Amino acid sequence: MSKSRYGSNLARWGVCLSVSVLLGLGLPLSSGAQEDLPEGFKQQGLPSPPPAEQIEAGKRVYFTKCVWCHGVEGAGDGPGAVRLWPRPRNFNAGTFKIRHTASGQLPLIDVDLLQTVTHGLPGSAMPSWEGILTEQQRKDVLAFVTTQLVQDRSWQDEEFEELFVLQLEQLTPKQNTPESIKRGSELVVEKKCIECHGLEGRGDGNAFNLKDDWGFSIQPADWHKCWNFRGSRQDPYNVRNIFRTFSTGLNGTPMPSFADNTSVDERWDIANYVNSLCEREHEIVAPQGQVSDETAQAFSTAAPLPIDPLTDKPKSNFVIPSKFVEGDLPTDEHDERWKLIPRRWLGMGGQITHKPRNFVNRIDDMWVQALYNETHIEFMFRWDDRTKSIQEDEVDWDPTEVNLGDYGVEEQAPQGTTFAEDPFHQESIAAKQKDGYAVYSDGVAFQFPVKWQELPAPRKPRYFWGDETFSVDLTKWTADGTLGVYEGTGWDQDLTELDFQEEVEVVKAEWANGRWTVIVKRPLKGDYEEVAYLEAGKYIPMVFFAWDGHNGDVGRKMAVSAFYYLVMEPPIPLTTYVYPGLITFGIVIIEGWVLGRRANRRKEKGQA
Amino acid sequence: MTWLKLVEGYMPMQMISELACSILVFALINWSLNRAGMGIPKFWAGVGVWIYIQLYLKYRIYPPIPFSVRAIYGTVSACGIFMWVSGSEDAWQEFKRPVINVMDGISGFHKSMRTVALIVIPLALGGFAYNSFLPSFEEPIELRTVHPAPPATTKVHGKTFVLQVVENPYRVNNEGKYDQAYTDARIVEQAMGRLMKDVNDPNYNPWDPNAEGYTKYVREGGEIFFQNCHFCHGDNLNGRGLWAYAFNPIPANFTDAGTIAQLQETFVFWRVSKGGIGLPGEGFPWASVMPPWEQHLTVDEIWKVVMFEYWHTGYYPRTWD
Repeated sequence: MSKSRYGSNLARWGVCLSVSVLLGLGLPLSSGAQEDLPEGFKQQGLPSPPPAEQIEAGKRVYFTKCVWCHGVEGAGDGPGAVRLWPRPRNFNAGTFKIRHTASGQLPLIDVDLLQTVTHGLPGSAMPSWEGILTEQQRKDVLAFVTTQLVQDRSWQDEEFEELFVLQLEQLTPKQNTPESIKRGSELVVEKKCIECHGLEGRGDGNAFNLKDDWGFSIQPADWHKCWNFRGSRQDPYNVRNIFRTFSTGLNGTPMPSFADNTSVDERWDIANYVNSLCEREHEIVAPQGQVSDETAQAFSTAAPLPIDPLTDKPKSNFVIPSKFVEGDLPTDEHDERWKLIPRRWLGMGGQITHKPRNFVNRIDDMWVQALYNETHIEFMFRWDDRTKSIQEDEVDWDPTEVNLGDYGVEEQAPQGTTFAEDPFHQESIAAKQKDGYAVYSDGVAFQFPVKWQELPAPRKPRYFWGDETFSVDLTKWTADGTLGVYEGTGWDQDLTELDFQEEVEVVKAEWANGRWTVIVKRPLKGDYEEVAYLEAGKYIPMVFFAWDGHNGDVGRKMAVSAFYYLVMEPPIPLTTYVYPGLITFGIVIIEGWVLGRRANRRKEKGQA
Repeated sequence: MTWLKLVEGYMPMQMISELACSILVFALINWSLNRAGMGIPKFWAGVGVWIYIQLYLKYRIYPPIPFSVRAIYGTVSACGIFMWVSGSEDAWQEFKRPVINVMDGISGFHKSMRTVALIVIPLALGGFAYNSFLPSFEEPIELRTVHPAPPATTKVHGKTFVLQVVENPYRVNNEGKYDQAYTDARIVEQAMGRLMKDVNDPNYNPWDPNAEGYTKYVREGGEIFFQNCHFCHGDNLNGRGLWAYAFNPIPANFTDAGTIAQLQETFVFWRVSKGGIGLPGEGFPWASVMPPWEQHLTVDEIWKVVMFEYWHTGYYPRTWD
């Protein structure tokens, strides 16, 4: 068993405890070499040390670009670290998540670390440095980091270090056939992946009890958002990335390597299944992780979402189309009529305009759909939230109050602004996430400008609950069961409850397997003076808000979207068919005329 | 085209030079083919180049440019090609010959081409008309003024600043006097990577323990930046921060030569202090999530963070003269 051979390493450095517990301890020492490597791995020699000039060149890069988050000593404690979650990497112990090397081993500098610097780590603040630093500069900075900032281990340490490298390039991914996907869905249960990642893979199993090697809260990946996978290498739907992570584990985290207890073939099945869960244009559901033959078929043929290369997130479209349906509006998410319209992906960012700012935002996107009939419009919101949060204690404030600072709801201040004052940032936001914070209710809200018909384009009320000149009506659902419609006149102005809320209805609100489904129905025709009067065929500005109660989100601490436009699509008018017909006919006549003239001229020429 | 990336901040130049290079290559191919006696008919050469330019604009540029802009480029390039094909009477005759031949139906092939054209043209235009009459709900294009005119004065934390005369109190030389030349010499290099000039010299490295004055203030500004601003403006100040994807208008890219490099430092001070909500109407104050930083930072912190932005991008603030 190969793990035990470097198990001594792990013990020596005290890293990857979880991995050694799972895979290393208690196994007999083995003297074998190649035959003991997990399937798909090969041993590789240690790299030679970089020249001194390169380290010096890398130092210049590091202190211009990296020090701000990773800190002077590379301990992941630069000034930026205090408000970041996930935290910047602490290089000192040589613990790196994304690798081709076996669990617990150092990464390949010229492959793994270079790719991390080149492509960044999506879902964290680490950006892609491609196009900003040259390849040489990226290699230089790695020379500096790996020799000067990784202090507890060394790539030149022949005695303690070995590199067993996953031969990813030599392996051919297994076709994502329905059979492979189905087998993968069974294997994730068998291998206990679902204990952390949840039945449907939204990272909702055991979500709040996990810690990394440094004691910071860490959450299992949400398989439905592959663009947030740290190891996605700006190519999120590539199954190889999942295969690699699954084979090598993520050092420093509870994610172990499964190289020893799965065959390569099984790993491809699991990777294919995990990859198929990543969101697609149309939703494919595998309830409770149960994949039927039909679902497996749909998974294996669904096209990936287009990814915006500038943000590494799905491409956004700021128009939310809504279609007219006959009769009653859907009563749940299973209604076939939701398939009439595309679902829209809403990017959500932390509210950091006004206090209390939300630096650790946990709702980074939502999906929305809308249908309407003669009298009502219905919105379906679905978003991933690892925890169902319902506030248990009474709060002192009224739902209409917005300035909660008076009640002690405050944003986290960075503890000490300089490195010297606060070398370990014990009280950072990320550290605080572990425990000891109030839990409020989850929630979702959307606002319309009240008199949007009167807005001189492109004027709108301020995105944040309107302004004095143009008020908004804010429909807010909270997980404790309340649904309110309020008038907003500014970010710091208390809301006013409107009678309209009696006419608004929560059709469905359910949290299941790490996801909220909230369906809200409201009349189209507000009174115009206090509540928006929605009309078909118009662009109606909208903004969305969301709260994660377990993140301490309440009041102004929340996630917020940009302005979107709701468009209730009207039926196609007759003119759409008439005019093109007339135009085609006209062109035929012109053609005849031109050719006739030409023929006449040639005839005249011929006679002359 | 992931293998060939557009380099940030140099995109327009790169686009124009790439187009120019490819046109040059086409000209060279055309010339050598002509010499070899296998010249392409002028008509097809012209149409080909025009289609190439359209495809280039549509697929090479990211983020995509709107149809209306491509239409303008299309017209301009069509004019250019027209000038080339109508340079002399002979050239013009040669250019239009294929069209005339089809119209006259001089051979069986040309006759069938004429029939096809007679059917395809009305259908294509009819289809185009149908598409444009079909109610479509594309994202509306809203043009926003990025640099609205600043006010004469601004009041921050109870103090009034006259933007024409106020100076950044931290942009000082080692004698403590305002000195733009002194500080301009200490910013990062304006080359790929925009790195500091010397990591071992406290004059250039803000993280040097011996750094003093301007260089030390840059570090303090950077600390503020990386606790407050990078969420949107990004670790490299290029407007691609952690949450940039969620917002519209997208966060400003300070490494672009069109943002802070075009502005006086006091303008930036005003924008930072007042944020999106303090913009005049043409700046879309209702949509910008830029915080009014006076709610979060002191005047000194704002000055320092502004100075850091110039240091880190390697740009000089514009002066009033």
